[in-house]
Amino acid sequence: MAEITIDDVTKRFGDSTEAVIAVDDVSLDIDDGEFVVFVGPSGSGKSTLMRIVAGLETQTEGDIEIGDTVVNQLGPRARNIAMVFQNYALYPNMTVEENMSFGLKMSTDKSSDDIEASVTSTAEMMGIEDLLDNKPGELSGGQQQRVALGRAIVRDPNVFLMDEPLSNLDAKLRTQMRTEINRLQNDLDVTTLYVTHDQTEAMTMGDRLVVLNQGELQQVGTPLECFYRPVNQFVAGFIGSPSMNFFRGTAQGGILQCEEFEYRLSERMQESVGSHGDFTIGIRPEDLELHAEAVDQNSFEVIVDVVEPMGSISYVYCRSEEQDSEETFVVEVDGKRPINEDQTLYAHIPSTDAHLFDNATGETLHQRKFDSEVRMASDQQFQSVDASSDSA
Amino acid sequence: MATTDSDPGSAQRLDKETRETLVSVARHTILLTWSFVILFPLYWLASMSLKPPGQANTLPPDWVFLPTVYNYITLIQSSEFVAAFTNSLFMVSVSVILVLLIGVPAAYVLSRYDIPMERDVLVWILSSRMLPPIAVVLPFFLIFRELNLFDSRIGMILMYVSINLSLVVWVMKAFFDGIPETLEEAARVDGATRFQAFRKIVLPAAKPGIFSVAIISFIFAWIELLFGLVLTSFEAVPVTLFVYSFIGSRSIEWGMLAAASTSMILPVAIFLIVVNKYLAAGLSFGVVIKE
Repeated sequence: MAEITIDDVTKRFGDSTEAVIAVDDVSLDIDDGEFVVFVGPSGSGKSTLMRIVAGLETQTEGDIEIGDTVVNQLGPRARNIAMVFQNYALYPNMTVEENMSFGLKMSTDKSSDDIEASVTSTAEMMGIEDLLDNKPGELSGGQQQRVALGRAIVRDPNVFLMDEPLSNLDAKLRTQMRTEINRLQNDLDVTTLYVTHDQTEAMTMGDRLVVLNQGELQQVGTPLECFYRPVNQFVAGFIGSPSMNFFRGTAQGGILQCEEFEYRLSERMQESVGSHGDFTIGIRPEDLELHAEAVDQNSFEVIVDVVEPMGSISYVYCRSEEQDSEETFVVEVDGKRPINEDQTLYAHIPSTDAHLFDNATGETLHQRKFDSEVRMASDQQFQSVDASSDSA
Repeated sequence: MATTDSDPGSAQRLDKETRETLVSVARHTILLTWSFVILFPLYWLASMSLKPPGQANTLPPDWVFLPTVYNYITLIQSSEFVAAFTNSLFMVSVSVILVLLIGVPAAYVLSRYDIPMERDVLVWILSSRMLPPIAVVLPFFLIFRELNLFDSRIGMILMYVSINLSLVVWVMKAFFDGIPETLEEAARVDGATRFQAFRKIVLPAAKPGIFSVAIISFIFAWIELLFGLVLTSFEAVPVTLFVYSFIGSRSIEWGMLAAASTSMILPVAIFLIVVNKYLAAGLSFGVVIKE
């Protein structure tokens, strides 16, 4: 097991005149035994960053340190890492047993009896002991996934790297494997880097999230931190499903004038924004309220465009009476609440739950109020991360 | 209650059955006709080789005859045939091994590494097959004579390699392109060197493709006549040239010609039977193993 330090790492592809910057000056410390999720949209550089840690790509600038060793000059085989690939990358010409033992044969001096014992015990742990004589082509997607995980685990590496390992599975199996990977990581306590574009996976799996966009590090924090305390509009929009609603406007005399509505800023908001004139108000769908009547001056009339019933909740897509565009925003309501399309209602943005972002830079000017329950949950998560780092 | 005559479902079923029968009959007719077109010349050749002298090319043909191996015995007793046959077997086999040793790694490099002007390099390799052989045979003759390669087995091996190299490089590049790079990356992360990843993971995965190009290269070299005709005279004569020698300016030895031609088919047929299971997979150019 080992801690990882990513120090001012930049990766440029192509020649200097037309270089594409895939990773832009990223620095990060990952603790021993920590489960860190790199999350971001396509092209954000998350996979490239992981491949740099693996030694499959060479960074243009910066250092990678695993344990106490700077590994810049070391190839993947010298880094004592194990990787799970999106397409599993099981060797098609080998049986499951040969797939799992290949790494041990290549990287250790273990006797064949010891290798066989390691493979058997890992296969039992992964529930694939009956598949050892099968070729990958004879396995289902879920079984291949287990073999790929088993192949990584049997190596007993310093670091696990997982590059979107669940994206080829169906929704049900993905949820199941998500829990299993979480359990395995807890049991094995091996430093793990996990790449995903799926923010649900990121929220549910990582001790910490590393949010990337266009090669730049946006935020590093616990899932709840990133969710409740986004440092900028990108993180606020990317973390959370459905995405946070944004209304762009201009403020004057404590009133934010948006296309959709007028919003009276609370005192706390006015303190946060100071002299900023142009900013965006952001509110999560679950924090927006829909009422039959206006509840205060910050309510505005909306028309229901589409209702998506999800069971226990429904997503209601609305647009303001005031706006010219067809753009909608989404509100989460109780699934049992009867709301129809074309119905006229009043939306209300509670000032305690709203975020404000600078229009020019996207930076957060004002965070929502953190209520005591959320603060407690977040603090507990922090403590558990610290404890796991300390004990390791 | 309802009569079957008026049951529209039954009528539809009948229509469907009739249609399926008609399709099946048409399909079998086409396949049988095609098989006949393909197999009849082979039957004709084999039967001609088994007919006694004088009966081989009569008109109308003798459909019923007493088979004899006279032509084959005469052929085997001919030292020229044995020499030409072993010549070809040796030269073609060595050329196939050589072309694979050169072409497969070249294709791998072109598939996996960023080569400057890669497209141009590929077209340049292919350009060796763009001119008709007859256009280049004379320059080859002059070069071979200068390099003392005329009528030598080494010269013919080089010639066969040059004929097949572009095919091997192009087909194998397409094949390697179809093998996910993550396989090698997984092997490298597992502790293999780049070469070990190629040897232990990529090559076994590319086996169907390698067998495909091997058999195709073997056939192309085995049936080559023109270069053999111009670039050999006695020592390195290939079997195709020996077979051609039965076509004289005044007469054709039909029986011997048929027996020699049938014998020529045998090595290819045996090779095909041995590697058949790899060939079918290889012709799909590797897409099947892409996950």
